[in-house]
Formats: sequence, structure tokens, C-alpha cells
Amino acid sequence: MTQQYLAGELSVLLSHVQAVTTSEAARCAAWSLRQAAENEPVQALRGVTVRALALTEGLCWDSLSHGDTAAFTRQAAVCAELHEFGICAGLLKEG
Amino acid sequence: MAEGQQPQDPAAQVSEAQIAVHWREEENYPPPAAFVAQANANDRAIFERFTEDKFPDCFKEYADLLEWDRPWHTTLDTSNAPFWKWFVGGRLNACYNCVDRHAAANPGKTAIIFVPEPESDEHVHISYAELLRQVNEFAALLRDFLGVTAGDRVTLHMPMVPELAVTMLACARLGVIHSQVFGGFSGTACGHRIADSGSRFLITMDGYYRAGQLADHKVKADEAVAAGREEGQEVDKVLVWRRHPGQYASATPMAGGRDYFVDEIIGKYAGQVVEPVSMPAEAPLFLMYTSGTTGRPKGCQHSTGGYLAYVTGTSKYYQDIHAGDVYWCMADIGWITGHSYIVYGPLALGTTTVIYEGVPNYPDGGRPWRVAEQLGVKIFHTSPTAIRMLRKVGPEEPKKYSYHFKHMTTVGEPIEPEVWRWYHSEVGKGEAAIVDTWWQTENGGFLCSTLPALQPMKPGSCGPGVLGVYPVIYDEDGNDVPKGSGTAGNICIRNPWPGIFQTIWGQPERFVDTYYRKYNRDPDSKDWRDWPYFAGDGAVQAADGYFRILGRVDDVINVAGHRLGTKEIESAALTVPEVAEAAAVPVIDDIRGRVVEIYVSLKPGFEPGKQMEDKVSKAIETEIGKIARPKNVWIVPDMPKTRSGKIMRRVIAAVSNFADVGDVTTLANPEVVDDIRHHVQSAKVASDDVPRQLTEAEFEEIKKYGGD
Repeated sequence: MTQQYLAGELSVLLSHVQAVTTSEAARCAAWSLRQAAENEPVQALRGVTVRALALTEGLCWDSLSHGDTAAFTRQAAVCAELHEFGICAGLLKEG
Repeated sequence: MAEGQQPQDPAAQVSEAQIAVHWREEENYPPPAAFVAQANANDRAIFERFTEDKFPDCFKEYADLLEWDRPWHTTLDTSNAPFWKWFVGGRLNACYNCVDRHAAANPGKTAIIFVPEPESDEHVHISYAELLRQVNEFAALLRDFLGVTAGDRVTLHMPMVPELAVTMLACARLGVIHSQVFGGFSGTACGHRIADSGSRFLITMDGYYRAGQLADHKVKADEAVAAGREEGQEVDKVLVWRRHPGQYASATPMAGGRDYFVDEIIGKYAGQVVEPVSMPAEAPLFLMYTSGTTGRPKGCQHSTGGYLAYVTGTSKYYQDIHAGDVYWCMADIGWITGHSYIVYGPLALGTTTVIYEGVPNYPDGGRPWRVAEQLGVKIFHTSPTAIRMLRKVGPEEPKKYSYHFKHMTTVGEPIEPEVWRWYHSEVGKGEAAIVDTWWQTENGGFLCSTLPALQPMKPGSCGPGVLGVYPVIYDEDGNDVPKGSGTAGNICIRNPWPGIFQTIWGQPERFVDTYYRKYNRDPDSKDWRDWPYFAGDGAVQAADGYFRILGRVDDVINVAGHRLGTKEIESAALTVPEVAEAAAVPVIDDIRGRVVEIYVSLKPGFEPGKQMEDKVSKAIETEIGKIARPKNVWIVPDMPKTRSGKIMRRVIAAVSNFADVGDVTTLANPEVVDDIRHHVQSAKVASDDVPRQLTEAEFEEIKKYGGD
């Protein structure tokens, strides 16, 4: 199927995740997920999306625990964007 | 229930298709009468012209839509099967067919309408005459400033702007092979593709609008050049279009002697006319990269004559494009859909094609419908993902705008019937014919769809094979799976068609192995009938001949006749928060054929144990169903991996099956193999769960598991 565009959209969203990371480890994790989205077959995108969401949720919790509301707001927005995309692309299940 | 009959497993009472997509067969929808009356293909005689006995000459009808510098002498050359050559002996130029001939006949006609993402910006109307001027000037720049000639590769990493179409057409004018990388991809991904194609030039843009922001794009060019260099490919020059000429949107400095702003040098070529280079029909027109299971992307090489004829023909009959239509395909030109059905197909037919810069829901879910109203769009083409998203953000939005589509397309993946119905009744206002389509990057154009005026629509099904394309479903042994049987199998195409890609750039063996080896009947045969094309998608065919696509079949584990995608199983395991990595493998089982075992590694700080195994097992059962429940969950400290990080599934499959793991010395972590083997095999021995000796065929299956 011509589903390559899903890899593209996910790559773009992962660049947004990269932009809201607050540690080197998270930046590397986001980068590695982006590489997976760009190079792995489309069947792997579901796993990449799930891991990306987990990473972003982790970032949100970390920011909350540090009281960094500005970072949390940015991260939560990216997380929501990722979640919406995952649902609409059929990569995540609703609920 | 008959006396003595055992209760059936509920999963066995429904077809594989229903298991896979949870849909039932839907009713048919006839096309609106007003659409039928004006359709390009509204006479059933067209089916007669494309019957199998008329193959391959039936495709002359598509090729005749183009202007040829020299006619072909052989419609299909199969002498080097399966490297098919179409319209051999013919010569033409793709740019001439998309621009010059329309500029001559109708210079003021709008070729491209560019819709910038900022809604306050004016739409840009580019006439065919203006497009010809821009293409000529940029072709002159490519020829004289870069020094490129026919056959050279040039990598493009551009967003959705008209300059992208200009660049592609300028390359085509010179016979230069363009390789556009999706603009949203990282510079590193672009660099890999530069290296693979051996491209010495990169054409990019400084920035573009996406979701209200002017994104810095030029920064990726530096990453791309560095990534290309790491793989041994130097980039000599980088041409940078500016989103706003004269203003630089990037924070990245230009590299002296390498980077050049197009708007600063194009003036030198003002008014120049470059004669279109007459190219052999089989000369490559472009490369389009797609991901593969080995991690190395595949550069799909598409031809000039066959490809252009095919996308023009399918645009005419399946998209029902008329020269007077305003046509909007909301895909990105960075993908094959954009190449075929934004640029080459519509422009070859002399219509007006819309290029939209940004995300469809910016600033709100009504944006696409406002654009459609403002531009008088008649034909609308998008993906199920976009349809779902637009439905979610604004289910009531379409009815606020007074546009009228006559035709709509959905492409890319199966669409749920309820989403299809929203698309039909709300977006299409019940007035439009909808075509669902199935095809791939490798295919150039549609393979399955409905002729919109002659074949009814059926939600969730992509339709029968298109004109001149004869699909079939084979089981693993190459037997036909009959239509109406409810049984899924591998959808294949029995014959070549003009849009089929020619090869994988630089990897001809991979081309044959991936797409033709599986069902080839004789490797020395020159007869196309011996070379069915293996698409790699699972499908089921209804009694009416319509196909329903079920998804990729790579690495399917066949459990008691149910085809389970390993990636799906692995993704389900990854929904367990403690799981870092997962790999599903088949284990030979005398009763069920194959059973699934899953290997997982945990994130730091989490301990293995029965509870964790149950959690993984439960997640798979919840996400996919009981049929996918793994026989064993093996929690391992690490997975065997290649140096590039790919999990070596064949190694763990061999461990699970007590087979030879083969050479593991090239792995990044060969030491883990013995640890895993000891852990898994001793547990299996202790529980009397040792599989029998594998047959040669089973051993080969395990050995190849997880490969391309």
C-alpha cells in the first residue's frame, strides 16, 4: 500500500518530540525513533508510535515533577498531536 | 448445531478478512447519473479494449495520450525478464508532454494553483506559459551552473511549493533523474538517499510553512551533505530556493562555494529556452525511495515512457480528469501519489492541479473545504488518515461551504466503511463518485480501483484490477485462492503494466528476489506469464471480484490458517510500558502449523518474571485476539542485533526451533546469542517442549525469517 506518507508524518512529529526534549538521553531516544520511522517498513510504525508516546509522556511527567510548566505545556501539546495522529492513522487504538 | 458436532472456535466462524479488519461485506453504491454523463469512461466497450487477449497492445490507448518524438516498435520487451521494457524504440520528453504542448495550445490556462498555508496570503496561479518559462530558466541553470546531463541524478529535498514541480520538470526536460525526498524527513534520511543514488547535487528550500510556523528547512541540507559524505558521496553544490525570495528563512549559514540561492543566480538564465531532450521510453525519469525490511531504503526506478503513459491513462479514466477541471490531490509530492497524481498525470492531461503547502487542519478543520470553495475544485484526492482527521476535527465543516466535488479518491490504506460513508455523504454531499485505490510506490499508478462511471463503489474495498491489470490471490504454494472463498492470500499481478518500476536502483538482485522470486515458475523464462509480481500485501477477493486489502504480508506467521503479522504482534507487546523491545518469531508446530513466540527486553529498572510474561501475553491477546496469544514469552536481557541496530529475528527464530543459528560473528553483540539459547532451550527441555527436527523447507523458512 502507498502508506509511506505515514512514515513521513511520523518523522515530522518525532522532530517535534526532539525539539521538546530536556535531556541528552531523551534527545537520543527521539532521534533513534525518528530514524526508525524513516527507515523501517511501515508495519513497524505502530511500535514506533507507541514508543514515541511513552517517551513523550515520560517527558511530561519529568517536567511536572520539576515544576517546569513551560516545558510541560510544550511537551503535552506534542504528545496530544502524536496521539491524534496515531489514532487517525490507525496506528493506535482509541480509548 | 448438528448432533455430535463440536462447538466451533468463534474465531473460526468468520473469514480471515473479517478477523483482519473487523468489517463485513458492504452494499454497493452506484455513481451519480450526472457524473456518469460526463465521465471520460462511460461506455462499457472500454473493458473489451483491455481484455487479456489484447495485452500488451491495449496500453497503446494510454501511450497515445502523449506526444512522441519517435513511435515505439515494440510495446513490451520481455527479453530480460522481469526487467520489463515498455514502448521500446519510442522517444519522448516528459516535460514537453506536461508543459510545452499545453503552453502552445492554451498558454493562459492555469497549470498550477499554489495555496500557501498562511490563509492571508494570496493564491498563486501559474499558467502553462508561465510554467514553461520557469521550467526553461531552471533547466538552463541546472545544465549550465551544475553541468548536469541526461542520466545524472539530482536529489531534491523540498516542501510542497510550486518550485518543487518546476524543479522536477526541469530535470525531466534534461533527462536528468530526479530523486525527491519527502520534505519532512530528516537531513540524515536525505543523506542516505543521496549516497544510494550517487547524487552530487542537492536542491532544497530555506523554509516552509507548517502549522503556522515558518520552519527552518535549510538546516537539514547540512545534515544531508554530512550523512552523504559519511557514506562516501560528496555533494558538490546545494541550490537553495527561498520561500520569500530575497529573505533568508534559515538560521544556518550558507556554505561558501557549495550553497547558492536560486533567486540570486536564476536571473542570468532569464528568457533562456532549453530544448527538451528526446529520451528513450525506457530511460529512467525518477527515483522514489521506499523503506524495506533490511533497513536500506529501496530506490524505485521509474521509466519515462511507460510511467508517463500509465499515470496519464489512469488519471484520465480513474481520476476522470478533464482539461477544464480544477483538481486537488492533498498528498505530498514527496511520495509516489504526489509524483503521479499531482504532477505528472494531471499536467500531462493539461488540467489545473492544486499544490497546498501546509497541514490540512490549519488553522482549523474547515480549511480544505474553504480552499475547495474558493478554487472551484471538482476532483478531490486524499488519504484515509486525512479523512479520519478531518472528520474528527470538523465533522460538520463540509456543509458550511458551497463547493461541489464530482469525484473523490481515497488512497493508501483500507478505509473503514463508516469513515467512507462520512466521506461520501458529508464531504462529497452525496454528489461525487468515489474511487478507492490500491497500489504501491513500486507500481507507478493504480492497480486496483473502480472505473467510477461503470463500476459501483463498495466501502472498504478497493475494487477489481484496473484496465489491463490482472490481479490474482495466491496461497503460499502458488495456488489460486478462488474469489468468494473468504480466504486471504498474497495479492499478485499476473502481468507487467507500463507503470511498473524498472528495478531497485543499484540492487537488481534485490528487485528480483523481493518482487518476483516467490512465484516465478522458471528463472530462465522470457514469458511474462511465468513472472507474477508479488506485491507483499495480503488480500481477500469477494465473489463480485472486488479486492479488500488486509495489509503487508512480510513476516506473517500462519497460525492454524490465520495469518498474523509479526509487526502487529510486536507492536501489541510494546504497549506494555515496561517493554523496551519485542520480536515475534514462528515455531514449527505439528498441530497448528506455526505458533508464535515472543522475545522481549525490558527497560532498565524492571525485573523479569511470570507476572511480566503474563502482562505481555495479555496485551497481545487484547490488541489482536486469542489466536495471536504467544506460546511462550521470553524475557531476555538484550536482543541479537546487527551493527545498525536491526534485531536479527532469524537468530532467535533458530533458537526457538532448536536450529542452527548460523554465522553470528558479524552481530554487534554476538555474546547474547549463547545466553538466549541457554535460557530458552533449557526451559524448553525442562518442560518437554522441544520441537521435532525441522524439514529442509522448514529450516530454510527459519533461516530466511526476518529478511527482505
